[in-house]
Amino acid sequence: MASSSSSGLTFKLHPLVIVNISDHYTRVKSQLNPPPLTSTSATVNGVENQQQAPRVYGCVIGVQRGRTVEIFNSFELLYDPSTHSLDRPFLKKKQELYKKVFPHFYILGWYSTGSDAQESDMHIHRALMDINESPLYVLLNPAINPTQKDLPVTIYESELHVIDGIPQLIFVRSSYTIETVEAERISVDHVAHLKPSDGGSAATQLAAHLTGIHSAIKMLNSRIRVLHHYLVGMQKGDIPCENSLLRQVSSLLRRLPAIESEKFQDDFLMEYNDTLLITYLAMFTNCSSTMNELVDKFNTAYDRHSRRGGRTAFI
Amino acid sequence: MNSVEGLVNQIQGLSTTASDVLSLQNLLKQADDSLHAESTRLLPFLDQLDPSKHSLGYLYFLEACTAGPVTKEQAGSYVLMIARFITSCIAEQIRLAPDKFITVCKRFKDQVLLLEEPLRGVAPMLTAIRKLQSSSEHLTALHPEFLLLCLLSRCYKAGLSILEEDVFEVDQPRDLFLFCYYGGMISIGKKWFRKALELLHNVVTAPMSTVNAIAVEAFKKYILVSLIHHGQSPTNLPKYASSVAQRNLKNLCQPYIELANSYSNGKIADIETYVEANKDKFESDNNLGLVKQAVSSMYKRNIQRLTQTYLTLSLQDIANRVQLNSPKEAEMHVLQMIKDGEIYATINQKDGMVRFLEDPEQYKTCEMIEHIDSSIQRLMTLSKKLNGVDELMSCDPLYLLKVNLLFHIKASLVVT
Repeated sequence: MASSSSSGLTFKLHPLVIVNISDHYTRVKSQLNPPPLTSTSATVNGVENQQQAPRVYGCVIGVQRGRTVEIFNSFELLYDPSTHSLDRPFLKKKQELYKKVFPHFYILGWYSTGSDAQESDMHIHRALMDINESPLYVLLNPAINPTQKDLPVTIYESELHVIDGIPQLIFVRSSYTIETVEAERISVDHVAHLKPSDGGSAATQLAAHLTGIHSAIKMLNSRIRVLHHYLVGMQKGDIPCENSLLRQVSSLLRRLPAIESEKFQDDFLMEYNDTLLITYLAMFTNCSSTMNELVDKFNTAYDRHSRRGGRTAFI
Repeated sequence: MNSVEGLVNQIQGLSTTASDVLSLQNLLKQADDSLHAESTRLLPFLDQLDPSKHSLGYLYFLEACTAGPVTKEQAGSYVLMIARFITSCIAEQIRLAPDKFITVCKRFKDQVLLLEEPLRGVAPMLTAIRKLQSSSEHLTALHPEFLLLCLLSRCYKAGLSILEEDVFEVDQPRDLFLFCYYGGMISIGKKWFRKALELLHNVVTAPMSTVNAIAVEAFKKYILVSLIHHGQSPTNLPKYASSVAQRNLKNLCQPYIELANSYSNGKIADIETYVEANKDKFESDNNLGLVKQAVSSMYKRNIQRLTQTYLTLSLQDIANRVQLNSPKEAEMHVLQMIKDGEIYATINQKDGMVRFLEDPEQYKTCEMIEHIDSSIQRLMTLSKKLNGVDELMSCDPLYLLKVNLLFHIKASLVVT
């Protein structure tokens, strides 16, 4: 698995594909987890019975114009674990259906989930070579890594490399860009807002601003502490007295406070009080909402009399 | 006799390390009955034990000793002994046998009351509470006893430290009721009406399955204190009060409700006649003093109502509107209210005019900053506490059962 492709193709990936793969994976995983509820869907769509990470498979379709490959859409496929191949009749049927709706789209390759491309994937890759002579392999890594900045999606191509004298097909990674249509942008934005902690809404901007200020103040505090420690040592006599340093420290200290007038004091304190009051109000609201949730939970668990909401019919 | 001596030796031997103390506790539990059987002869053995080292054993012996009826002479010596024990005992050992400790302290309180010297019991009881509590948020059965002693000895300030703490854990509901009721009475005695209102409110809205006498008495005082402090009485109990309380408390406190109604009319003469008519009822509840305070607070209410209508008023006018006898009295009332910070006004003595002012607080001072800051800190600790309780609740099996039941029902309708 080399790390750079030399085919010279530019890949453009649409967000719909990523959302589709992610949705497929999430559905399968959540249906797998509570076993007593879902006895039927345990082996659908190529799920191996691992407890942690079921692998899902499917096809990606799109358009190839010259050197640009644009991946527009994807659909799911059944994976047969016994023959290690994808379900061909189903694939054909799906292909015909999609051809009717999107006449320009071709099957460009296939996708799967996992952390890295594996040897067994080569079989599937080869099997698809009769549809497309150089299929793509889109890999989505479902592990959530909060420190990672990029999308966990990689696109692999297959290339014939000579290794130890034997020509072999191996996967090579290719770079890609994300391309969006207006409709996709709106829907992606909508999905992003479902988890406000990851979106760029106003609340996080405020939090980012305050965090910046907080770290700045912390740094200032630690530096002043160092200076203070130094001066105390100098006062005790452990460190020899250096007048130039003392002059510098004294000039630093005289830079604050910047203004001394009474009007400034008044205005400053009033604004300070206003901010504190707003913080107080925010804390109040926060506490009230926690209290509200707590009371709701308590009532759900223990309240015998008032069960409002008629959807609790015990069939 | 031999068993008792043997027990004494074991106590002396096994009181050093924690594991020894645990085994000692088992021994003592088994020997408890035999100790009780010999209760009259245990007194000399107590001298062989040192309360500051052998606290657990001393506790068992003491409890067996004081089990029977106690005469006044005996009470004197017992009181001294128990007081010394409480001050010198080891808290960890005591917490292994909390019931015995509570029994001993309650007997202590009875004996102190028998001797009619409640003041002697205040300090030892406070030490006992501090040693028994697992944290300052824990309400033990000794709290109401302590407050009772404070009330009887009129030593209100000692109760203050206990009342200031926030309570999060309660052993027995009865403790909470008594604690808040006595606490309310102490606060009324010190004229901290806001705190009294808060404590009495807790009693009245606490969950109860049947009406109890403490709640009824507390409700009477609650009406009176809210008249004094707020100028209006609660017409209805809040929604979170138990349904039992909401239905029954009002019927049991009828004279007070009527007093509150006539208060809201604003006529002093009416109220005074009503009070005279029902004097015995109020007196039998020991509430006559509070009722009188409520009546005198009516003047304050009326003067405050004037501030909302007028900017300046002459003292004569005030006296007329508020039904006071003379402008001099009006001046005294207004002066007192200005000193207490209940209204903002200036009195011009030359022409007898009073000018009502706005709240001069500009929110520009450093004191205000500190005040708000401390409130924010308090809220933050409360918020942390709430989050902790919320998490506990989310893990509660009963809650999860009910929520999962809903989820499963919905999911089984949706899946495939």
